[in-house]
Amino acid sequence: MTAVALTARTARFRTARFRTVRALRLEIRHSAVVWVLPILAALFYVNAYRTAAGYPPTWTLRASVITQANLAFSSMIAAGVAAWVATREGRRKTGDLLATTARAAWARQATVLAATAFWMVLAYLAGVAVIYVQTALQATWGGPPLWPVAVGVVAVAASCAIGFTCGTLFPGRFTAPIVAVAVFVAWFVGVNAANSVNPDNVSNLSSLKGTSALLVPALLGRPPDVDAGVYYHVPPDVFIAQVMFIGGVLLVMVGLFALLPAARVPGAWGLSFAAGRRLTVVAAAGVACGVAASATAFSLAGTGQYSLTTGWEIPALHDAAGDQSVPYTPDCTGSAFKVCIHPAFAPYLGAMSAALQPAAAEIAGLPGAPVRAEMTPGYSPPAVAGTASVYDYSVEQEGFSGGFWATPATARTADWEQGEQQDFITWFVSGPAEQDAPGLTTPAQEAVAIALLARIGAPVPSYPQFSQSITAAASGFESLSPAARHAWLAANIAALRSGTITLAQIP
Amino acid sequence: MNIELTDVTRTFGRNKAVDGVSLAVGPGVFGLLGPNGAGKTSLLRMLATVLPPSSGTVRLLDRDPSRPAARTEIRRRLGYLPQNLGYYPSFTVAEFVEYFALLKEMPAHQVPKAVAAAVERVDLGPRAKARLRTLSGGMLRRVGIAQAIVNGPDLLLLDEPTAGLDPEQRVAFRTLIRDLGQHATVVVSTHLVEDVGTACSEVALMAEGKVVFRGTPDELTAQGEGHQVGDSPLERGYSAVLAASREQVAA
Repeated sequence: MTAVALTARTARFRTARFRTVRALRLEIRHSAVVWVLPILAALFYVNAYRTAAGYPPTWTLRASVITQANLAFSSMIAAGVAAWVATREGRRKTGDLLATTARAAWARQATVLAATAFWMVLAYLAGVAVIYVQTALQATWGGPPLWPVAVGVVAVAASCAIGFTCGTLFPGRFTAPIVAVAVFVAWFVGVNAANSVNPDNVSNLSSLKGTSALLVPALLGRPPDVDAGVYYHVPPDVFIAQVMFIGGVLLVMVGLFALLPAARVPGAWGLSFAAGRRLTVVAAAGVACGVAASATAFSLAGTGQYSLTTGWEIPALHDAAGDQSVPYTPDCTGSAFKVCIHPAFAPYLGAMSAALQPAAAEIAGLPGAPVRAEMTPGYSPPAVAGTASVYDYSVEQEGFSGGFWATPATARTADWEQGEQQDFITWFVSGPAEQDAPGLTTPAQEAVAIALLARIGAPVPSYPQFSQSITAAASGFESLSPAARHAWLAANIAALRSGTITLAQIP
Repeated sequence: MNIELTDVTRTFGRNKAVDGVSLAVGPGVFGLLGPNGAGKTSLLRMLATVLPPSSGTVRLLDRDPSRPAARTEIRRRLGYLPQNLGYYPSFTVAEFVEYFALLKEMPAHQVPKAVAAAVERVDLGPRAKARLRTLSGGMLRRVGIAQAIVNGPDLLLLDEPTAGLDPEQRVAFRTLIRDLGQHATVVVSTHLVEDVGTACSEVALMAEGKVVFRGTPDELTAQGEGHQVGDSPLERGYSAVLAASREQVAA
């Protein structure tokens, strides 16, 4: 190619780029998406924002919202609006006029699709920004995960492409609502499928097998535990597979859209493609690449394996170097009895200490009495009482579902504190927390625990074998002098834990 | 010749909208007259490359529009105002005209000036930033004309361009198309004969899909001598030709 020809080609490219940018600017300025932004904002506030605000400020958990509630509504509206926008030329009766212009129909329509996707992705990212900024202001550990954002952006763009292609193919007035509802229904079908591989809903973790449900964006790769991503990084395997799968769908839709509308230009002679053979080849290649990407992701998802520490892993995508636990130095408070917490939950340290210190003081000096309380990952079993000087607690155990972790300001309630004290005393008297092993507590253990709890002002827990005789024994034990009670416990705590002390033996 | 039609036919189902029309038109203003349903709009849509002919050959600007590359080149040099102008209400006048300038693939550096000039030529300069939804029917028609002429077309096709224009605007419009006709081929489809009489150098009258008369406006006027139907000489000529055509068909 000569220099002159190259210069001319460059000039043509610049001119074409200028026209594309100007046309895109016009479409962005007049996009119908602007009219649905208030609806998107309202749905975001009601569903995503309030949900995120109710979660503790850990990045992985908060980020789960952006691929769940936020993405569900964004995708639905993106598909509906895109389908509506695609029918614009028919609704506005500009078909004849536009058919006489030189620009290919697919290129003209692609600009409209791009403007729609621009607004929808921007709106989605604005929602992500709100959640991330709020989290950044509250979080004390870690940083914003970007893979869920990538999944969300690709999913919103794919929803736009699905809606637009459907609107182009079926330019009826009902296309937009039908497409929106279909995407919404598909979303919940996917969420149901994802729930089937969510370890929170599975009793036998060894039965978990990788399935296509891993490709549902609502699935994070591990359940949204409070401490997800805190002790171990969440591997990006599932996110990569999701981006591959949804990106493949996006490519297929854009490719189909580029092929089909060109053949439907009102003025086209026969079925010739407006932009010629090159477009056909490029679009067909796009469709083929999209199918290949989605199919690959589909098969990769089937190879998924569940890890107790990091969640779902896909061997072909997994980087084992990232499996190391994340080092941290716990934040601690107290002297005789130290209460320690993972720095991700540092704002809750005061509440946890205030709850445990009175209970710890009541049993201080007894054989096996803990000198330290430490937060451990939710999946690791707590140490058995009497065998360690550390009381282990996890975020899951500490009432995530009860709303304790909502925000540090609202965390400390009397109910919650008393619950903590019950867990602590029950653990000391009978072993692991009774709520996890309710059948293990003997009447004698219950009576002693009730008495100790009464000493620190906590109400009687709903123990499984609760009866009048237990209450009576507890009252008797409580009425002993502290020294007598302490002496009896020092002598009998091991026998009490082993279940050999009867109710009648309690003084 | 910018337009060369040879035995062009266009059918919609069993209905023959255009029936064996042959025309050759060079630069100048060419009027296409005829009653409702005569086939004017169908013929114009074929000239605008919106519709392919069912049979016959069409050559526009010395190119064959059935070939994609040639069709694209024709469209770059084409201006078209359809009978029913569709528009996007939220666009401003200038944006709408710019949109079509971009779609007509005008050279980038020419677009801003061309848009301003087109808007001025239809006397909408003061309303350039007005949204289309706020304009009257006549103003919208002028916006349609502006988008049609923004690329300085060599072939300008106007379907009922003066519908909705006030008398003053109609006069201005006739001046405009006479001016454009000095360099380009302007085809004006209308059933308002006064437009043809004052603006067109040549006229064709269609009836039942066929061209039943072709000549100058004066020649059409001459056809009406002795004919009683019509308020003006040209209208009488129009009516006389149509009446003769109907008699021929009836016979």
